[in-house]
Amino acid sequence: MSEVQHTTFTIERDLPGSPRHAFRFWAEKALKRRWTDCHPDWTVLEDRFDFSPGGEEAVRWRTAEGIEQTFTARYLDIVAGRRIIYAFEMSSAGARVSASLATVEFRPGGMGTKMLYTEQMAFLGGAEAMRMRIAGTGTGFDRLADVVAMDGAGVH
Amino acid sequence: MQDAQPLDRLFQALADPGRRGMVEQLSRGPATVKELAGPANMRLPSALKHLRVLEEGGVVASRKVGRTRTYAMRPQALAPMRAWMREREAALDAAFDRLAQAMAAMPEEDER
Repeated sequence: MSEVQHTTFTIERDLPGSPRHAFRFWAEKALKRRWTDCHPDWTVLEDRFDFSPGGEEAVRWRTAEGIEQTFTARYLDIVAGRRIIYAFEMSSAGARVSASLATVEFRPGGMGTKMLYTEQMAFLGGAEAMRMRIAGTGTGFDRLADVVAMDGAGVH
Repeated sequence: MQDAQPLDRLFQALADPGRRGMVEQLSRGPATVKELAGPANMRLPSALKHLRVLEEGGVVASRKVGRTRTYAMRPQALAPMRAWMREREAALDAAFDRLAQAMAAMPEEDER
């Protein structure tokens, strides 16, 4: 099996409010944590946030099961109200699962802002971590969905 | 849309609880016919028959080395990445829902 696999995916969102306003929810720590905190049962071990070109954001958690998870990002390009580009890694139990380049673009439109999130990911596996992570989440059937998708599309 | 035939074969392959058990086992890693027959409580010829259905359904692939036939989930190489990508997309979708809610709860007019 290849060591590194690459993929790209995008998510588009209509957001209520101007691009300038939407941007603040990425740029200001208190506002960003309003929507990035999603696991009330996880303990936050570290939470650094330096939103500037070259600045680092680093969050480390301990899950309810006692597994340590990390998200470490470096901001590469910031254009207020328009664009954010950052590189980041995610690890689970000490094994790096993926390293990505994320581009977030804000444009006027829709309910106020059209936000486009593009992630270019290098998937590293972290075999043990992955096994733990996806254990018991019905992965067998997820893979079946993959089979269907692959048969239908061939390429995505 | 997708070709219906592979889907028919796929669902047929999954219509049996014994075969679904084999799929669950294979999603944790490749296994030989013998290793699959045991937990499924099947005799070897019966296990082989079920595995053939799964293989025709495109769910699994097999490889024979010497006298041993080993079965594995078919898109083995890409499946973990796809699973991870799906998990990431789901997490981001949920996060962006919360972002939209947070923005709606704090409209621009209310700022200092």
